[in-house]
Formats: sequence, structure tokens, C-alpha cells
Amino acid sequence: MDWIRSLRSQDTTHSRFLVVLSLTILVLLITVFLPPVADSQLAEGAAIAIVILGLSWLIGWSGQISLGNSGFMAVGAYSASIWAQHHATTPLVLTFFLAIVMGGLSGLIIAVPSTRLRGPYLAGMTLAFSAAISPIAQNFTSVTGGENGQFLNELTTPKWFLHLFSGQNAAINANAQWSCDIAIVVAGVAFFFMANLFHSRTGRAMRLIRDNDVAAELVGINLTLTRSSAFMISAGFAGLGGALYTILNATVNPSTFPLTLSITLLTLMVLGGIGTLSGAVIGGIIYSFSANLVDHINALTGVNPASNLGANMQGIIFGVLLILTMLFAPRGIAGLWGPLRRLTKSRRRLVTHQNVQ
Amino acid sequence: MTDTTSRPITLELIDVTVHFGGLLALNEVSFRVYENEIVGLIGPNGAGKTTAFNVACGFQKPTSGSVHFPASGHGALRPSQLAKAGVARTLQGVGLFPQLSVLENVMAGAQSRFGDGLLTSFLGLPNGLRTEKALRQEALGGLERLGVAKFAAAMPGGIPYGIAKKVSLARALMAHPTLLMLDEPASGLDENELEEFAHLITELRASMSVLLVEHNMDFVMPLVHQLIVLNFGQVIATGAPADISNDPDVLAAYLGVEE
Repeated sequence: MDWIRSLRSQDTTHSRFLVVLSLTILVLLITVFLPPVADSQLAEGAAIAIVILGLSWLIGWSGQISLGNSGFMAVGAYSASIWAQHHATTPLVLTFFLAIVMGGLSGLIIAVPSTRLRGPYLAGMTLAFSAAISPIAQNFTSVTGGENGQFLNELTTPKWFLHLFSGQNAAINANAQWSCDIAIVVAGVAFFFMANLFHSRTGRAMRLIRDNDVAAELVGINLTLTRSSAFMISAGFAGLGGALYTILNATVNPSTFPLTLSITLLTLMVLGGIGTLSGAVIGGIIYSFSANLVDHINALTGVNPASNLGANMQGIIFGVLLILTMLFAPRGIAGLWGPLRRLTKSRRRLVTHQNVQ
Repeated sequence: MTDTTSRPITLELIDVTVHFGGLLALNEVSFRVYENEIVGLIGPNGAGKTTAFNVACGFQKPTSGSVHFPASGHGALRPSQLAKAGVARTLQGVGLFPQLSVLENVMAGAQSRFGDGLLTSFLGLPNGLRTEKALRQEALGGLERLGVAKFAAAMPGGIPYGIAKKVSLARALMAHPTLLMLDEPASGLDENELEEFAHLITELRASMSVLLVEHNMDFVMPLVHQLIVLNFGQVIATGAPADISNDPDVLAAYLGVEE
């Protein structure tokens, strides 16, 4: 955990780079030992973690709420997909770049009028945006493929990578592994840049407008510009996550990014811990394996997964977890680390104290 | 009322009038702050002192009249442009950022001295890191100068009021201002702290003008070069403290003498 702690201290860019690189390689190694299904789940989790990180930045750092990030995901996803319909051979990096730019632009368009809004009004405005995206995708058939959506080519696994696998289902295993590794590397890059932002003057500007906007103006911060750029960055991350999600699944349609996904993102962010890198990672992991958790609990309690109760089990679990988090760990699971350490420390101190007596 | 000295004027309000609905908060208020001068803006409650401050800072748009910063060549400024134009203002009370450490609060004061640098921040470029490092040193130096360096790592909620006031002054000074506007700097301070503060402000005068709104006359009188007395939104007297203290209008305003 010292690695993660060093991410938070006053450090340099290359030490941050080394930490993110090491963690990325560690996760890549872990995926080698996971079954293909878990790899695919983890890959989606990585995409979602990027989006959660962007949301965490917006809410935790700039103090603005958004229920529109599923909409920004859709913008990134459709940009990548529509582009791929015409230019199937574009390198992945450029596709991601396009998704970030388009996501960020849509964020800026939403942000400029909404920087005058605060709290619930801002939430309402962004909610309207994410509600509007799906009907737009449905009705703009000529561009978006309408109800059926669009299909992309599957990610091609390079030959050298295929050769590393042998035995039954070698190709399937290799493909799942490759997709997962791509997703993790993309997430690693995104986390590195966000870590930079967290520790920069821009990051501090965000905390200033969050804490006291009058005082922030007096130290020379342009509120509209700063709030808008927070939105743009958050939406750029959402665009990247959405594009990654769509490329992994090789398809996108109007119901891929429903309004409820925005709520799920918010829930995952709170569960993991608002405004932290590790919180976004934890949120992504919970997303990856929530289906397994739901199956497990259905099996334990004997609830039929096809029943009404079984179908809504995920919402119930998230709801209960959310309430528990708000009550007992307002800084999320990532925030538990500090109090836990203090607890063990004070207990140790207590022990030594008794020994002295 | 107008001073005819040839010294540069840092801040000038010309015939500023502010209406709040039917209420006349300021009525054709004009005054000047000269370079390296300490000016006190005084008056009973509701006289319009804070409104005048807010007009000068761009928080309040005047109904008529204008604001200028002749020495730096600026007209009226928006609040976010002040710091860059060399105007720093403290807020009534403390006005610190509650979730930033004392050191970061002070570093925030220099936010305007550098460009936005979004790309620098995003890529973690070395020049951004260098300025952060330099800022941290300068902020520590500023805290040291005010004798509160040992609170650098504390959070604003956990430090005494007098210390917090010094921290907010240190933050204002980080902008390298040529005009420092202090909103009730003496409120809530004890005798010793008042003396220290008065001493500090006198020292600052060497490199900047100071305009302060204050209730505490014992604090203001020996400190300032020029007093501007407001009552019911109007300037009723301007001049050196010694002259003002004998002005019948001022005495009436303060003691409530019936006319």
C-alpha cells in the first residue's frame, strides 16, 4: 500500500509514472492467471473505472455533480463506432483520441450554460442530457444505425500473442487476454494523467472553487472557465471509457448507455471513495464482478434469478452497500485504509502503554 | 475633497452610486488611494463601506459612476482579474479554503501569477513541478514572515482565529499586490494581535497601498494616512485622522447627535 500512498504525496511526474507502470504490469500479470470470462469482466471494469475516475474528478475535486456521464460515454462510443464504419483500419490510439476529443467537446457544450447552475439544478441539467442521448441515437438512423446500433470489428490479436497460447480454446483465451490487456493499459495511461492533474495547479484550482468560490475568484480564478474545464476533462474521460467499452464489446446501440448507468457510476464512485485514484479502481472492480456477486447471493438465498426479486438483486445489493458506505465509511472503501491503520496503531500503542505499566 | 498631489493613484472611485432596489447604498462616492498610502474606510453600520469595497472589487456593479486603477492602467475589473492586476483582498472573517492545508491555502494566493497551464498540469511537465516547488518555498517564507510557519501543515479549521487571519494575509501577499484591501482586519483579535497586525501593515506600506474597512478606531487612527468617512452611503469627510476626529459631521454620525 506504500506504493499507492506515494501516489498521493508530493512527488514528481516520473515517480508517478513508475508507480502507475508497476501497478499496470502487476495487474497484467494477474490477468494471466484469470479465466477468459474473468478477463472480459475485468476489461469492462477497466473501461468503467476510467469513467468513474472522470466523475470522481468532477464531483470530488471541482465540487460539481453530474448525472450525464453515461451520455458522455455514449458520445465517445458512437464517435469511435461511426468512425470505424468508414475507416476500419485506424490505429486504436487515434480512435481513442477521437473519442476523448468528442466526449470533451460534448462536455464543454453542456458545461458552458450549466456553470451558472449549482447542486440539484446542475444534476437536473446533466440528467436531461443523458436522457436525451439514447433517443437521439435511436432516431438518427442513418448515422447511428438506429435501434439495432452498429457493429465493429473485433480487436485483432497479434500473431506473436496468439503463439503464446496452446491447447484447447487457445484462440479464445488469447483474444480475451489481449482485449483485457489493452483495456488495462488504456486505464493505466488514463490514471497516470489524472494523477498528474490531481497534484497540479489545475487540481488545486478545482479544490479552490469547490471550497470557497468567492475567495477563489479573489486569487484570480475564472469560475466559468475552471468549472467548464473540469466538465470537459470529466467528459473526455467518459468518452474514452465509453469508446473502450464499445470496442471491447464490438457493438453499440441506444440501450448500451442507459440513464441508469449514470446512477450506477455515481454509486460505484461513492462505494470506492470520492476523489481518489484507488476509489475509481475499486469501483471498477466492483462493477466487474457484481454479476458474480449477484449470482452468488441468489444461490445462497435460494432466490430464482429469473424472478422479479432476482432480476433486481443488483440494485438491492448496490443500495444496501451504498447505505452502509454512507453510514460507516463516508470516504468509501479507499478511505477505510487510513482509519484502519490508525486503529491498529492506537491498539499497538495501548499495548506498549500497558507493558510499561 | 480632491487631493492635488502628483503621486500616482492606485485606486480611484468616481461618483459611484449603487441602488439596491429602492435603497440607496452609495450616493456619488468618490475617493482615491495613492501609492504607498494606508487608507481607512470607516463609518457606522450600514454606511456602505462593504458595498464600496465590493464595487472596487467588481463584485457589485455600480448603478452609475466608475472605478479605475490608474497606476496600473486598468479600468473596472472583474473579481477574477484583480489578482493579476495587483489587487489582493481579504474577506470579512477568515475566508480560507477549509479542505486545504494552511500551506496550500497560502500557495493558492499565487494562482494568478501563472498561466492556466492545463496541458502542463495534465502531462506533469517539469516547468509545472518547478513552479509548484518555488511556490511552496515562497509560501513557507510568507508564513515564516508572519510568524505562523509552524501551522503550515494544519487544516484551517484547527487553528486559532488570530492565526487564521494571518494566514489569509499571507495568502493575499502571495499575489505580490500593489493594492491590498483588508476587510475588517482587526475584528476578533486581542490586544497583542492588534499591535502585531498594525505593525505588519505599516511594514507592508513600503511596497504597496493598503485600503482597509474597520470598526476599531483605536486600531485605525494611529495606522492610516487618510480616512474616508461614510454615512448613509455618502462621503461625509476625507482627510488626515487628526482632522477627522474633530469634524462635527463625523462626531454626529458616530455619537448620534441630533441635528
